[in-house]
Amino acid sequence: MSASTSRRGGGGSSGASGSGTKGRGSGGPCGACKFLRRKCAPGCVFAPYFDPDQGATYFASVHKVFGASNVGKLLSKIPAHKRLDAVITICYEAQARMKDPVYGCVGQICTLQQQVLALQAELSFLQNHLATMEIRQPPPIPPTQGVPTSTVFSVADLPTVVGVAPATLSMPTTFDLSSHFDPATAQASWAVYQRAMMDPRQYMAVASPIGPTAGGGVDLQTVARELINRHVPLQAPPQAFGSNAASMSAPSLSSSK
Amino acid sequence: MISERCAACKNQRRKCPSDCIFSPCFPANDPQKFACVHKIYGGSNVGKMLQGIPTYLREQAANALYLEAKWRIHDPVYGCVGIISSLYEQIQNAEIELAKIQTQITFYKLQTQRVEAEPNSEVLQAQSSNMEQFEWDNPTIASWFN
Repeated sequence: MSASTSRRGGGGSSGASGSGTKGRGSGGPCGACKFLRRKCAPGCVFAPYFDPDQGATYFASVHKVFGASNVGKLLSKIPAHKRLDAVITICYEAQARMKDPVYGCVGQICTLQQQVLALQAELSFLQNHLATMEIRQPPPIPPTQGVPTSTVFSVADLPTVVGVAPATLSMPTTFDLSSHFDPATAQASWAVYQRAMMDPRQYMAVASPIGPTAGGGVDLQTVARELINRHVPLQAPPQAFGSNAASMSAPSLSSSK
Repeated sequence: MISERCAACKNQRRKCPSDCIFSPCFPANDPQKFACVHKIYGGSNVGKMLQGIPTYLREQAANALYLEAKWRIHDPVYGCVGIISSLYEQIQNAEIELAKIQTQITFYKLQTQRVEAEPNSEVLQAQSSNMEQFEWDNPTIASWFN
């Protein structure tokens, strides 16, 4: 995962200086030591990431949730070039826990997982619908003399598809998780929690490809076969349509009544 | 009968009081749960957090803390925020695919309407040619309408 993604995941809420190379910039204590009211040592592990101005505010939530010593131990075990990302995600988790003391980030994960499932269900439904339309669409009538040939229909001529959710999905810096306090919905969503408790790696695996080709080919073929089997009895043998075909091919004034 | 200590008090090697705040949330049969939470958050922080939560929600809060601690241990840099980020990406990809399929469906609908409209135009042209033939064959009758 790139730093930009993690920064998007952190929502830019850490107030970190982002330099990661120098310690105390202004000469005073860093935001963490300022909050803890202690002397800021030259090799302070928090100094590169918590500036004296806003860093103290963000460190307050981090200290309340994780504790300064625990965060210090955590950062000391992480390579230096990854510590900024770690600080951002820790700040994000701490702020999420402050806003939602019961579920924290897990509530947001549950909500997002439900959104993913709903979108996948809608996607599979529309894929089946599209397969149905592709089968039912009659073949185009060949152009005859005097009849102008049909112009090429371009996708650019289509009207704007409405109802599509906007693609702006940048992680919000603030979010409202008050809906997760409802115990009724919380109990219903614990099925997701329990699944995650078994193996969190199922969430961290590569995202399953979502698209028409991702495991949908077999389903579409099955649907296509079923639809063809349904429509075969309606299409009577050519002999039965012989008289009808003759009457339809030569329309007259009498038939137009 | 000796009451068994909860996992938290066992981990901290202390006596488990009858009103221990951890005992409903960290039973003795799951020592790993408190160990993960203690490693990331610390026992005192967890106790303070649980005290600020209604009693009927404490077990769920403890489970959520356990999940976050587990993910943080598994991925010390990104923790559960990495999962949130990947879920956002999945949502974005799904919405893009949905938009594509909706466009295709609209295209087929318009094409179907176009195909249904074409046979009518052929009938009308055939009728007009028949009318011309009728006037040519019956000029007298056709002149009645002129």
